[in-house]
Amino acid sequence: MADTLSFSPTTMKQYEWLLTRYPTRRAALLPTLRLAESEFGEIGVPEMRYVADLMEIPPAFVFGVVTFYTHYRRAGTGKYHIQVCSTLSCALRGSEDVVTRITERLGIVPGETTDCGLFSLSKVECLGSCDTAPMLQMNDDYHEDLSIDDVDQLIEQLRESAKGGSN
Amino acid sequence: MAFRKIFTQHIQKKTCHTMAFYKKHGGYEQAKAALSKRKKPDALIDLVKASNLRGRGGAGFPTGVKWGFVPKATDKPKYLVVNADESEPGTFKDRLIMEKCPHLLLEGILICCKAVGIETAYIYIRGEFVFATERLQKAIDEAYDEGFLGNNALGSGQRIDVTVHRGAGAYICGEETGMLTSLEGDRGNPKLKPPFPAIEGVFGCPTVVNNVETLANLPYILEIGADAYRAIGPENSPGPKLFCVSGHVENPGTFELPMGVPLRTLIDKHAGGVWKGRKLKAVIPGGSSAHVLTADECDVAMDIESLAAAGTMLGSAGVIVMDETTCMVDAMLNVMRFYHHESCGQCTPCREGTGWLAKITHRIAHGEGRMEDLDLIQDVCDRMVGKTICALADAAAFPAESIVKKFKSDFESAIQNGGSPAWKKRHPSVVGGTASHA
Amino acid sequence: MPDIKTPTTRWTLNGQEVENTSGMTILEAANEHGVEIPCFCYHPGLSIAGNCRICMVESNRSPKPVISCSERIADGLEIETESEVAVDARNSVMEFQLINHPLDCPVCDKAGECILQDHSYSHGPDRSRFIEDKNIRHTKELGPTISIWGNRCIVCTRCTRFCDEISGTSELCIVERGDRSVVDVFPGIPIDNQMAGNTVDICPVGALISHDFKFEARVWNMERKDSVCGGCSRGCNIEVETLDGFVKRLMPRENQDVNDWWMCDEGRYGWRHLYSDDRVLEARGPSGPLDSSRSITAFIEILDNSPRVAFLIDPFLTCEELHLVHALASSSSDSLVGGWLPDQGAAAEFPAGFKISADKHPNRNGAEQIFGHQVFGEDASQLQSALNDRSIDTIVAFCGGPGSDGPGQEWSAALAKASTRVLFSVQEGNWLDGATLVFPATAPLEKEGTWVSEDDRLQRTRSCWKPGEAPFPSELVFLQSLQSALGTRSRSLSAAGIFRELSEVCAPFADHNHSDIGSLGLLLSDRPTGVGAGGGA
Repeated sequence: MADTLSFSPTTMKQYEWLLTRYPTRRAALLPTLRLAESEFGEIGVPEMRYVADLMEIPPAFVFGVVTFYTHYRRAGTGKYHIQVCSTLSCALRGSEDVVTRITERLGIVPGETTDCGLFSLSKVECLGSCDTAPMLQMNDDYHEDLSIDDVDQLIEQLRESAKGGSN
Repeated sequence: MAFRKIFTQHIQKKTCHTMAFYKKHGGYEQAKAALSKRKKPDALIDLVKASNLRGRGGAGFPTGVKWGFVPKATDKPKYLVVNADESEPGTFKDRLIMEKCPHLLLEGILICCKAVGIETAYIYIRGEFVFATERLQKAIDEAYDEGFLGNNALGSGQRIDVTVHRGAGAYICGEETGMLTSLEGDRGNPKLKPPFPAIEGVFGCPTVVNNVETLANLPYILEIGADAYRAIGPENSPGPKLFCVSGHVENPGTFELPMGVPLRTLIDKHAGGVWKGRKLKAVIPGGSSAHVLTADECDVAMDIESLAAAGTMLGSAGVIVMDETTCMVDAMLNVMRFYHHESCGQCTPCREGTGWLAKITHRIAHGEGRMEDLDLIQDVCDRMVGKTICALADAAAFPAESIVKKFKSDFESAIQNGGSPAWKKRHPSVVGGTASHA
Repeated sequence: MPDIKTPTTRWTLNGQEVENTSGMTILEAANEHGVEIPCFCYHPGLSIAGNCRICMVESNRSPKPVISCSERIADGLEIETESEVAVDARNSVMEFQLINHPLDCPVCDKAGECILQDHSYSHGPDRSRFIEDKNIRHTKELGPTISIWGNRCIVCTRCTRFCDEISGTSELCIVERGDRSVVDVFPGIPIDNQMAGNTVDICPVGALISHDFKFEARVWNMERKDSVCGGCSRGCNIEVETLDGFVKRLMPRENQDVNDWWMCDEGRYGWRHLYSDDRVLEARGPSGPLDSSRSITAFIEILDNSPRVAFLIDPFLTCEELHLVHALASSSSDSLVGGWLPDQGAAAEFPAGFKISADKHPNRNGAEQIFGHQVFGEDASQLQSALNDRSIDTIVAFCGGPGSDGPGQEWSAALAKASTRVLFSVQEGNWLDGATLVFPATAPLEKEGTWVSEDDRLQRTRSCWKPGEAPFPSELVFLQSLQSALGTRSRSLSAAGIFRELSEVCAPFADHNHSDIGSLGLLLSDRPTGVGAGGGA
């Protein structure tokens, strides 16, 4: 699998541009991993190996970096990654209820992915949106000021999107 | 002089984040003057020193003094790394600046680069802030288009480059040297200090690390001068300040007020007071790393020195309000889990201590606490503070030691009655009691 | 003209004013004054990490304790290593180190040489206050020779720094964060470099385990001897550890002039052939085994009846053994001496300077000093031609190397043309077929004597055998017995005694002796200036 992975010409251009922004190649690692995340859909073992070889960085180093951070989309993550903020301000305003509701609707607990591969649920730390608690991040987007209805609606919308074959 | 807002005066306008809007309202005029070839960098540093501007990231270090530490004579390139990692629980002010007035930040960056002789600036923004990143990148593109960045930035004769560098989910990357290590492409492990970043920071070169809000103050300082700036709020901790209020209030949000606003005014007048007609129980005044205040301790001014004198800190100005229904054991458990999760794991007292604190608190909340656990928590905190590479251990210990000390009855209750109310609600059939461990 | 002295710094250590070379860390400077400060993550051969925090001391320059492994001495600095602050700081760190550490000592190989045990005993609390569930981390193979018991890992990063800085192979990394951090490898890329075994040595706890030594022995039951590796001509200094006279483990020994703190895996794990089933363990003639006296008689008979005796030496023989061969060769008229060399292996050089030699034998240099520089060259060619011409009746050949090929195909074929062959061999092999006499040879680890490394370093190698429990007479003993029987030796001597004889007749070795060579060796060109000068005892 690893030998079939490669950046598209567009992405490669972006990578080359990245290299011009830093005095060391290694400094471009985190943003290059984002390019890989976007291009390949996830950062798994083959993707880490690809980036390591591309950047001439020891693969073990890349592995250590990827496992340190929580926000890279790791292999096996569902199409819709629901990350519910669970730190104090959100907890004070019902983040647990949000999680419970999602578990009821999707049948998964935090850390799990639905069998169909559509949804992953995580509890995450403070997302810097405490004034709109409780809230969650779904892939790149913040969904704030959540009521239980909002949660139901979001899940429905996502299910619809998935059926429609759109993003 | 009436208080003039510099961050939030336009945030209702849909285009407030654009170059056109910013320029229309006097944007980049201060930077143009500062970056003119005739202006001496030292004069800028002196001005910022005289203004008493103090870092807005949490440590409150005098900004001008920090700039002054960077060696003037050096062969190495100098760097500015903007701390936009904003991960302190209860804090969301930098996000507002980046989403609503990113050009204010860029103008501040230009002024700093001129003052310290920096050509390359990175904005290290937390990975989760995708929308803010887009807004920031758009503003940077606009600035390059106008010649405010790049070669001969703003006609200064100096090249100034700004690159947005996304983080990937780690609170410790908000610690200045953790940020630098992450920028270098590694796990976000803080570095041993000394040497300090101003001498040897990112890529082994002199580096200034400044918070977003700190830099965003600079155009205003240049506009009104050091004396006028110092007159806003207390002189040793002056300026307009973004206060974040969240938790059990009617109207959570970001409030731009002069430094020194009374905490009670902030909560009751601006944030609508404790919600649902309830009574106040506890307030964290400066992000979760600050010592907690009881309801009786809230007659304090929101500025660096006043809060320090009250045994806590302004920190990131993330005010978290807790009402009378809050079990402080649960609140503490939430916060301890945060630090346990976020410790980078490098050094022993933090790696193990954050885990220990979380486990003890978990046990108390889940009905297996012992009275001696309260002294144990204090002792673990003592053994963590001041013994680590960075201050995350302290940041975990401060809320732990203060919550346990000031809300002892909540803990005693959980120990004697089979756990915290939330736990007992979820597990009504479990008969609690003191721990049966040997 | 005043001397240009190294700049020094005066500072205060535990109330006493002291002086050290400027720029030293507090830890290193204190050590010079006999004050030992504990450490886990610090290692003199690696970069400073400063993460374990156990080396904290009290400083007048800081309100918080400072780590002595990275803070440098300075004028006016006052450091206390035994004050309440310092002692409590260390005690705290020890307590934290132990809360998640599994009580594995009864089953952990590191017990007895474990830095965690040692520091816990000296600096830690004597009981645990931790009643929570301990963390679980992975236990897995990291490579063909190393596994990790992750629960024991204290994330000191010595091993990861080793792979980055010393072997330059970077296979190890820390994964995850916080107290979930642990050492790991990239999935599918095991740790498999030529220096990997050193990571197990430097691991301060029993997290990294060597497959070679796993569950083999308790360290306190083993005997230790300072010795030298015979795997190549670098001559890395080692410790040989034995249980009841059997080698259990080889470890590197620090020698800053040869191998720093390291040894290569080939040398480290290259001892098992000592116990292979095909060792030659007793002398034998055409009709079967010969006891010691009969084997000597047989040997002398051959020497008496041979007009021309030639000797084929190997580069494994010690200088003392070579001296005895030389004496034997000199006493026979018209004798020819040549040497054979194993095939060259791969040389290697690592980022921090550690080297592996392509010469996979320890004493080519010593043989050349004693027999002349042409012994493996011109002399060898001459000898081989003479054998092939069938002009040699009797050949005495040595093979102290591993494997059953003896001196290799070419030499074996040439040897077979002599009518009488007296062969010394470590292992059985076809090349011994039809030999007149076969004698057991010592493998390098079994030899007592000296070798000269490729850097002209004279070093002592020690026998792993328990004194008085030799399974067969070593070449050192046998050749002297032979000399006695021939009437050319009145007294049998130890290796040191034979070395003294050598130093009296062979110029490169003049004025050297075993005592001066000590355990760190010395260059052939180093001449001691007085009693006990040069190496230690």
